Amino acid sequence: MTDTAPAAADTTSPTRTHRFTRSLKRYPIVQAAALVVVFLIGVLTLDGFGTGRSITNILITASFLGIAAAGQTLVALVGGIDMSIGAVISASAILTSYLYGGLGWPDVAVFSFVLVFALLLGAANGYIGQRFGANPLIVTLGSGFVAVGLAQVISGGGSDSVKAPEWLGMLSRPVSTTFGLPVPPIVVIWIALIVIVMVMLTSTPFGKRIYATGASANAARLALISVRWVWVLVFGLSSVLAAFAGILLAGFAGSGNTTLGDPYLFLGLAAVIVGGTTLDGRGDYLRTALAALLLVVVQTILVGFGFTNADRQIIFGLLLLVAVAGYIRQPRLRDLI
Amino acid sequence: MTGFRAALVRRPYLIAVVLAAILLAVNVVAMPSAAASYWPGLIANLAPLAFVAIASTPSVLGGGIDLSIGPQVVLSNIVIVMVLLPAGIDSPWAVIPIVLALGILIGTINGVLVALLRFPAMIATLCVMFVLIGIAQRLAPQPAGGSTPWIEFLTSRAGLFPIAALVIAVPFAVWLVLRRTSFVRNLLAAGGDPIAATSAGVPVSAVRLLSYTLGGLFASIGGLMLTSLLRSADASQASTLVLIGLAAVALGGTAFTGGRGGLLGSLAGALCIFLIQNLLTALSVPAVWINVIYGLLLVGSVVLSASLLSQKNVRQPV
Repeated sequence: MTDTAPAAADTTSPTRTHRFTRSLKRYPIVQAAALVVVFLIGVLTLDGFGTGRSITNILITASFLGIAAAGQTLVALVGGIDMSIGAVISASAILTSYLYGGLGWPDVAVFSFVLVFALLLGAANGYIGQRFGANPLIVTLGSGFVAVGLAQVISGGGSDSVKAPEWLGMLSRPVSTTFGLPVPPIVVIWIALIVIVMVMLTSTPFGKRIYATGASANAARLALISVRWVWVLVFGLSSVLAAFAGILLAGFAGSGNTTLGDPYLFLGLAAVIVGGTTLDGRGDYLRTALAALLLVVVQTILVGFGFTNADRQIIFGLLLLVAVAGYIRQPRLRDLI
Repeated sequence: MTGFRAALVRRPYLIAVVLAAILLAVNVVAMPSAAASYWPGLIANLAPLAFVAIASTPSVLGGGIDLSIGPQVVLSNIVIVMVLLPAGIDSPWAVIPIVLALGILIGTINGVLVALLRFPAMIATLCVMFVLIGIAQRLAPQPAGGSTPWIEFLTSRAGLFPIAALVIAVPFAVWLVLRRTSFVRNLLAAGGDPIAATSAGVPVSAVRLLSYTLGGLFASIGGLMLTSLLRSADASQASTLVLIGLAAVALGGTAFTGGRGGLLGSLAGALCIFLIQNLLTALSVPAVWINVIYGLLLVGSVVLSASLLSQKNVRQPV
C-alpha cells in the first residue's frame, strides 16, 4: 500500500504515446518551461535584468518564499492546509529580535527557543486536526493568532527597537558570498532544503507515509501507518520551516513585527498551487520551489516595468489564473459519475 | 447528553448561539454600568463582521470557499467613498443599486471561475482577492474620509432600536425566500455530495455559481455598513477580514466540506467573535493578550463542535 500510493499516477502502461503526458504529470515541466519563458521575456525587455546582481536579488527573494512555502507543500500532501504560516513567521521574527536584541540571549539559545516554540505549536495543529476531526483551516487560523499573541506577550508588545543578530542579516545580503561562491548563504540554504525535502519525500519511509496518508487516510491506517503521527510531524515540520523563514527574515529586515509574515501565507499558498501540488496528495517540493522562483521573477518584471504596488497585485492575480488554467482545472462532474 | 448531541447534529448553529448567549450575559455582567444606549451601538459595530461571515457562507455550503469576501466588502466601501461620493452620486437611489450591482458582478465572476471554468475555489478566489486588493489600493492609496447622512443613518438608532439590525435582517429575508425555492436544498445537495447530486439531476454548476453571486451581493451590503461605521475608506483591512470571516463561519457550525450549515450560525459565530473582542476590551485585558485568548477560543470551539458533531470519534479505533 505504501509503495503503490505515491506512484498511483504513474502506473499506466508505458507506451510511447503515453510517455510524454506521463512525464508531464511526473515532472514539473510546465513550470520549468514557464520559468524559462518568463525569464527570457525579462531579459529581452528590461535592461540589466539578466545581470548577476539582479539574478542574486531574485534568488534571495525566492529563497524566503520557497522556505516559507516548504511546510505548506508537506501539509497539502497529507490533505491539510496551514493558515498559520504567516503568523508563525511574524512570531518567530518578533521572538528572535526580542530574545537576542532585548534580553541578550546567545544566538543558539534564541534559535532553539524559537524552533521548539514553533514545533510545539505545529504539532498541536496536527494533533488537534487529526484527533478531533476539526478543520485544519480553522485550527491553524486560531493557532496563528495564538502564536502572534504569545510572541507579543513575551516581548511585551512593541519590538521595533530591538535588533536581530547582525550576522543573520549577512546571510541574505546580495553582496554576501558562500565559501567563495558568488551567492549569499540563504540561497545555498534553500537549495540544501530542496534536496533534503525531496530526498525525504521520495526515498524515506516517512515520505511514503506522507503520500499514503494524503492519498487515503483510511487506506494508510489499514497499512498500519499512524496517520496521527504523520499529521503531528508534518504540521510540526511546517511550523518549524515557517519559523526558520521567520528567523532569516528577522535578520533581513533587522527586526520583527506582527504583519511581517502575512504576505508569505497567500504567496506561499500560490506557490504550492502553481507548482501543481494539489490539496489531495499529489505533488512534491521541487514543484513548489520552481513556482516560487516563477512568482518572484514575474513580480520582479512587473516592478521593472514600473507598475505600482496596486497594479502589480491586479496583474499578478490575473496572470496567476491564466498560468494555472492549463493544468489545475477540475474534471467535469458528469465525467466523474 | 445524547439528546443534546442529536439536537446539535440537526442544528449545528446551536453551539454558536449558546456560546453567544453566554458571552452576551458575561458582557452584561462585566459592564453593569453601561447605559441602555450602549447596546444598539454594539449591533452597529457588529454589522461589517456579520456581513463578512454571512457573505462567506453560501459558497461554503456549496462545497467551495470564497477567500475574496473581505476584499469585496472593502472594495464596495472604497467605491462608495472614493468614486461615487466625489462624483456627486450621493442619493441612496443611485448609490445602493450601483454598489449591489458591483457586488453581484464580482460574485458572479467568482462563480463563473469556479463553477463553469472549473478552477479550484481556493485558487480562483485567491486570485480574485489579489486583483480586488490591487484595485482597492489603486482607488484609495491612503485612508480618506467621506460619508453622507443617509449612510450614517444605517448604523444609527431609532429610539433604542438599532437600524443595523434591519439591514442585517436583509440577507435572512433573501435566504428565507430562497428556501421556498429549490435553490437552498440543491445547494446543500451539491455541497454534500456533488457527484450524487449531479446524478440526481441537481444543476450543481448553476447553484454553485449562484452561491458566489449571493455572497457578492451580501458582501456589497457589508461594504455599505462598513462605510457607515468608518465614514472613510481604508484598503488595509481586506486580508484580516478574510480570515475572521472564515473563523465566524466555522464557529457557526457550517461544515467546510460543504452541505451542512446556514446563515444563522454564521451570524452567531460573528457575534461570538465580536463579543469576545468586546469583552476583552471592556475588561481592559492588556492588548497583547487579546490575540492569544482569541486564538484559543477559536481552536477550542472548533474542537468542541467537531467532537460533539462527529460520530467518527466514538466509532473509530485510534
